[in-house]
Amino acid sequence: MATPSNPAMAAALARLWTRFLPEIENRVAILETAAASLAAGSLTAEKKQAAHDAAHKLAGTLGTFGLHRGTDLARHAEAFFAEEDRTATAQQVTAGIAELALLIKTRK
Amino acid sequence: MVAALSLETVAGWDVIVANSGAQGLQRAAEHMPDAILLDVMMPGMDGPTTFRELRKNPKTARIPVLLLTAKVQGADQRRFADLGVEAVLTKPFDPLTLSDQMSRILGW
Repeated sequence: MATPSNPAMAAALARLWTRFLPEIENRVAILETAAASLAAGSLTAEKKQAAHDAAHKLAGTLGTFGLHRGTDLARHAEAFFAEEDRTATAQQVTAGIAELALLIKTRK
Repeated sequence: MVAALSLETVAGWDVIVANSGAQGLQRAAEHMPDAILLDVMMPGMDGPTTFRELRKNPKTARIPVLLLTAKVQGADQRRFADLGVEAVLTKPFDPLTLSDQMSRILGW
């Protein structure tokens, strides 16, 4: 998936990445805001839900663009904000979100 | 959108894109596609509700539907499969193999 051998597909995915990048970056920003609120002890239910939804969408999207690690990190964040994963710490999730942001930034 | 583009690019299929459940219902009845690839999380009407509405309409009731979801947990997958769709596909998907995967499931 990272380097499609079909040139038409590679070109199409490159176009789509450029087109969807602002939306992807916006979703990461939502996660970063939630992580900051989490660290400050002020994560509201709304921010938590928004973070869950953003993580869910990133998990479904990033792998298609070859960012499988991004999908994994987004899935961890999704499970954390949905309270499905009670073993992850806030620090782990925050570090994961920072890594996710870096992955996206360096793919450009 | 990514799915639609990949199918057009790789398989040469005629793809009709809808950006919401309501638009999907309208386009399905209008164009009578051979199959529908339906996302679970959509603005307004979600995928399962859209699927039920498709089944309620005698015109669209027999169109095969494949659900596309970023939910990877077994319980979610079973819940979606129990709706009566042809298959539940997990995101992220591989744009290069999606059309083959769909063809195989649908027996084309």
